[in-house]
Amino acid sequence: MDIREKGYSRWEGALRASRFDWLPIARNGVRAVFKKKYAKLIFSLCASNFFIFLAAVYVSTKPELKILGELVRLLKSDAELFKTFYSNGFLTFMLIILSVFSGADLISSDLKFKAFPLYFARPLSRLDYLAGKFSVVLFYLLAFTLAPGVLLLLFKMLFTGSLAVSPLLLLAILAFPIIEAVCLASLTMALSILSPNTRFIQIAIFLVYIFSNNLAQILKAIFRSDYFFLFSLSANVEQLGSFLFGVKPAHGYPAWLSLLLPLAISLLSVWLLAWRIRKAEEGA
Amino acid sequence: MDEIIQLESVSFRYGDVEAIRDVSLTLPAGVFGLLGPNGAGKTTLMKLLLGFLHPAAGRGEIMGQAMGERHKSLRRLIGYMPESDCLIAGLDAVSLTAYLGELSGMPRQEAMKRAHDVLYYVGLEESRYRKVETYSTGMKQRLKLAQALVHDPRLLLLDEPTSGMDPAGRKEMLELIRDIARKGSMNIIISSHLLPDVESTCRQVVIMNQGRIAAEGAIADLKKDRRNLYEIKVVGDPLPFLAQLREQGWQAEERDNALFLVIPPAGTDPATLFRAAHQRGVQIRHFRQSRISLEDAFMDVIRGSNGH
Repeated sequence: MDIREKGYSRWEGALRASRFDWLPIARNGVRAVFKKKYAKLIFSLCASNFFIFLAAVYVSTKPELKILGELVRLLKSDAELFKTFYSNGFLTFMLIILSVFSGADLISSDLKFKAFPLYFARPLSRLDYLAGKFSVVLFYLLAFTLAPGVLLLLFKMLFTGSLAVSPLLLLAILAFPIIEAVCLASLTMALSILSPNTRFIQIAIFLVYIFSNNLAQILKAIFRSDYFFLFSLSANVEQLGSFLFGVKPAHGYPAWLSLLLPLAISLLSVWLLAWRIRKAEEGA
Repeated sequence: MDEIIQLESVSFRYGDVEAIRDVSLTLPAGVFGLLGPNGAGKTTLMKLLLGFLHPAAGRGEIMGQAMGERHKSLRRLIGYMPESDCLIAGLDAVSLTAYLGELSGMPRQEAMKRAHDVLYYVGLEESRYRKVETYSTGMKQRLKLAQALVHDPRLLLLDEPTSGMDPAGRKEMLELIRDIARKGSMNIIISSHLLPDVESTCRQVVIMNQGRIAAEGAIADLKKDRRNLYEIKVVGDPLPFLAQLREQGWQAEERDNALFLVIPPAGTDPATLFRAAHQRGVQIRHFRQSRISLEDAFMDVIRGSNGH
């Protein structure tokens, strides 16, 4: 053979054990999503929500400016501002797009290309693998919810010149995007592990979003009860926002019930992931 | 520590199917071939060694670490080249190899440097920046070897390493395996259906059949048991002649057209063959002691373990 004049050479370094064995998976996944076609377009659309609200916050502190007056009137209080910022329909829709974009192929691609033996032959537990993949979706969802939410709060303080903020509001600003992102990320992951066909997963995520809303509307029309909005993903997001930010709920059922849907989705997803990944490792 | 693998009465079931049955095996450091027909339990045994599966019964140690426990630290010591056509989509070969090195516990920079080294070593230096989805089967085999070597494991498990490769690629792959083996720093287990591949790279084999160890030991020893095998070619009707030989305790089987392999019973003079031929009116045109291949020994072991 022409190569290998020097033959096989050993690596003299030492392998490290780490509590964060999943970190390379997360890093690689985040980088891969960022390099995707249309990434900048989708990120820009997701970020546009922040810039619109930033403009509204600025305008609300400058009474002499008349533009965006309607939006400013809507945002009567900080709680209303942040509830609307997080739970408006546009952002919810963009987060679904972002979940599809960043997470649909995360596990399904590994299923398609039979990558599991490569992962599980490494010092990785099933939990490490899932944590790495989960972090990718979580990273992008939080990057367009939590990060701009905190930034919006900082800018509001800057524009008003007041550092006063209610601890409950601060807690809600931090908790809402985390609950929403964990729920969406686990749903995305659970669907991603179901099939090696990424297109199918993308459609499935959209269907869950659209079907849940339509089902709730139909049931509400038939039975004339707002409780059926518990089936709706976007209605629950809105209701959850009302609950956490302490504003009047949009639907006529106790707002705290809307914590149940993300909890149920997350638990079901974790169970499905644990079951499927065990099968995947055994079959690796 | 002399033994790399010690298994004691290890069993594993897939539902009702007993894939590994009461396997006890001790392998010292070195290079071993793992042979067996389809469904013999070779891949299941590899999965047990890697900790993908947990034994239903029995216990084992791999490089001093208990099987099924602390599989993370064990997997740091193992390099695995899977049989299936697996890859991580969207990455080029360097990124993939470095990524898997990093997952093994290598520092990031070193993993990248080492990835270049092993890709050069396996002959992928020209195409290391190509997306791995575009690789041919032979290139994927080399890439799988590179990723198994990247963290310089102490035990290398190769599952069908030449599968799907053209003759030139297969020769190069075997040469790489021999080179790694020659360095002596790595213990290697090669599972292959291609017996010449095993024969050209290993001195020791483990033969599995129906989930059990059918034979193990040096290839030379397995062949030695069959040194009194003869090749004959006959002219005339061979059936009465072969029937007489079998009556006298000979084993006989047809290989090619009019070429037979015969084994006399212990203590029998091979010259009795010519007397039988004379009595049955056939001429022996070719007679020589057969050169035993690993395939002959393998088939013999499998037949023996099947109870034929």
